[in-house]
Amino acid sequence: MPAPDPALLEQMFHRMSVARAIERLMLVHTRERKFSGWWHPGEGQEAAPIGATAALERDDYLWYQGRGSAWAIGKGMAAGLILGDLLGKMNGATRGKGGGVPHWADYSIGVMGEGATLGSVYPLAGGSALASRIRKDGRVSLADFGDGTSARGTFHETMVHAAAWKLPLIYFCENNGLLVGTRLGEVSPTENIADFAKGYGIPGIIVDGQDAVAVYEATREAAARARRGEGPTLIEAKVVRRHGHYAGDPQKYRADDEFDDYRDPVDVLAARLRGNSAERIAQEAEAEVKAAYEEALAAPEPDASVIERDLYHVQ
Amino acid sequence: MSSEVMGYNAAMGLGLVEEMRRDAEIFVLGQGVATGGWFGAEKGLASEFGLDRVIDCGISEAFEAGLAAGAAIVGMKPVINMGFGDFALIAGDEIYHKLAKWRYMHGLDVPMTAVIIFPIGTMGGAGPEHSSCTEVLGMHFPGLKVVVPSTPEDAKGLMKAALREPNPVLFHSVQGLGWARGEVSTDPEFIVPIGKAATPRQGRDLTIVTYGSMVPRSLEAADTLAGEGIDCEVIDLRSLVPLDWDCVLESVSRTNRAMVVHEAAKTAGPGAEIAAQIQERIFFDLEAPVLRVGGKDFPLPQHSDLEAMSIPSVDAIADTARRLFAI
Ligand SMILES: Cc1ncc(C[n+]2csc(CCOP(=O)(O)OP(=O)(O)O)c2C)c(N)n1
Repeated sequence: MPAPDPALLEQMFHRMSVARAIERLMLVHTRERKFSGWWHPGEGQEAAPIGATAALERDDYLWYQGRGSAWAIGKGMAAGLILGDLLGKMNGATRGKGGGVPHWADYSIGVMGEGATLGSVYPLAGGSALASRIRKDGRVSLADFGDGTSARGTFHETMVHAAAWKLPLIYFCENNGLLVGTRLGEVSPTENIADFAKGYGIPGIIVDGQDAVAVYEATREAAARARRGEGPTLIEAKVVRRHGHYAGDPQKYRADDEFDDYRDPVDVLAARLRGNSAERIAQEAEAEVKAAYEEALAAPEPDASVIERDLYHVQ
Repeated sequence: MSSEVMGYNAAMGLGLVEEMRRDAEIFVLGQGVATGGWFGAEKGLASEFGLDRVIDCGISEAFEAGLAAGAAIVGMKPVINMGFGDFALIAGDEIYHKLAKWRYMHGLDVPMTAVIIFPIGTMGGAGPEHSSCTEVLGMHFPGLKVVVPSTPEDAKGLMKAALREPNPVLFHSVQGLGWARGEVSTDPEFIVPIGKAATPRQGRDLTIVTYGSMVPRSLEAADTLAGEGIDCEVIDLRSLVPLDWDCVLESVSRTNRAMVVHEAAKTAGPGAEIAAQIQERIFFDLEAPVLRVGGKDFPLPQHSDLEAMSIPSVDAIADTARRLFAI
C-alpha cells in the first residue's frame, strides 16, 4: 500500500490538529462553563480516526462512537458544526439539540452518525454495507467501537452475516485497554480484539494506533479488500486514552507509570511532515477552532420548538 | 374496480410484490423469507426478485432490525419480517432507539422508509413467548408509525402505504387472522392511508373502538346485540400511530358511550390511552365511563384451550357492551 502523499499528510495533520485543539478547549470549557452532559475526551487517540478516515472515500459510510471529535473532523465535518453542537447552540450540527454525547451527521460526506447505546454501530454499518452490495455502489462501511464494546451481542450477530455475505464492512476497534476503569483483560478471553477475526474467517489486523500513517495503510488495505468483494476486515488500533473516561473523571484506577512510554499521535504525525509545516498547520488549526468557539458562544440558544422538530418527515 | 378473494397473509404479500415491482430500493430480509416465509406472505418473492433483494438471515433479531435502520438511513427501503412481535424486545434498541430516533437525535428532517413486520397475538398454542401483542410499545416510544390491519384488503393497502411512507413503520400482522379471507382490491394504486380508521359498522347506542383480531369478534358481538335492540358502532383503528382521534371522538360524541377492545393485555395496553383521552377530551359528552376489554394480565398459556380463555371472547365483548348500555 502506498503511503499518503504529502498533500494528504498535511490534510491529516490539519484535521488532527483541529481535533486536538477541540480537545484542549473542551477540557477548559467543561471545567469553567455550563455544559450539558459529559464530554468524553479523545486526546491521545486521534491517530486512529484521522488515519482511518483519510483512507476512506468521501462517500464511504462512517458510523462512529462518541469519544472526542476526530472521526467527524477526519471525515470532513467543519469544527464550527461540532463546537456549536457541543455548546448546544443553533449553529451546531444538530441545530440546537447538542451537548455532551455527539450525534453529528452529514450524510453527504458519509458521516452517518453516532448511537450512544454502544454496539449499535455494528448492525447499522451492516445495513449500509448490505445496501452497497445490493446497489453495487462500491462504497465501504466502517463501524468504529471501543474495546469494551466488543462484548456486545450485535458484534457477533453482524459479523457472522457480514463475513458470510462478504459485505464491504470494516470493524475498527480503538483499543485503549479500558472500559471506563475496567481493564480489558478482566472481561475478555482474548488478549487482542483482532483475535476474534479468526472465528469469522476474516483478517484481524493489529496496528499501532498512535501512528496515523500505519492506521491509514491498514484501513486502505481493508477498504480495497472490501471493494474487491472479498469481505470484511477487523482492524484493532492500540491506542492510549490520555484523560479520564469523561472530563472530570478522577481516574483513581490508573497507574502512575502508565504514560511513561506515551507517544503523542500529534508528534508522531508531525515528524512525518516535510520541513516545518507542522507548526504552521497547528497554528492555523488552533486559530480556526478558536474562531469557531467564539462563534458558538455567540450563537443563539434553542427554544422549545426544537423539542418537537425532526420526529416525523412529511413528504 | 377489480378485486379478488384472498387470504390475509397472501394479500400482505401481494402488497409487497406490487411495491417491489415499482421500487428497486425495496428489499426483504428475515428468517426463511427466501424460502417462502414462515407464514407464507413471502411466497414467490425470491423467484421474482432474486436473492439480492430477498435475503435469508440467521437467528439475529437485533441485527435484522439494526440492519433495517442502517439500510434505511442510506436510503434503501428494507422490509424485515421479525417472525414474532415478541422479538421486538430482543431488538429493542434497534427498533425503539435507532429506527425511531436516529433522525431526531441527529437533527435531520429527511425521509427514512423501513417496514418491520411483527406478527402478533395468539394463534393456537404458540406459547407465552410467541403470542404477545407488543403494539403498545410503538405507541409509547415516539418516532415510529404503527399499524395493525384486520382484513386482507387492509393488510395489502397498509403494506403499500408503509412502503411509500417516509418514516419507519411497525407493521403488526395478526397471527390469528392469517387464514382470514376477503375481497382485496387488485388495483396497484390502491392503498390504505396510515392514520385513517374505518367504521365497518355504524350504530347509535355505543361505540366499540377496536383493531386487529378483535375487529371480527366485535362485529360478531354487535350482530348479537342488534337482536337485543342495542345498536353498536364499531371502529377499526387500523393505525395506532397516528391514531385517528377525529374518527373516535366524532363517533363517541354521537353515541355518548364507548368501550375499547383489544387482544393485548389490558393493563397499560393501548385501550388505557384511548379511554383516557376520550374522557379527557369529551368528558361532558359521555353518559358512562369508558370501559375496556383486553387480554388477561398473565403470560399467554401454552395450552391452546387456556390460551383461548385468556383473550376477549365474543361473549365477553357483548357482556361488556350490555353493561355499558345499561349504565
Ligand atoms: C449499551 C451501553 N452500555 C453502557 C453504556 C455506558 N458507557 C458509555 S461509554 C462506556 C465505556 C465504553 O468502553 P469502550 O467501548 O472500551 O470505549 P472507550 O470508552 O474506551 O472509548 C460505557 C460503559 C452505553 N453508553 N451503552
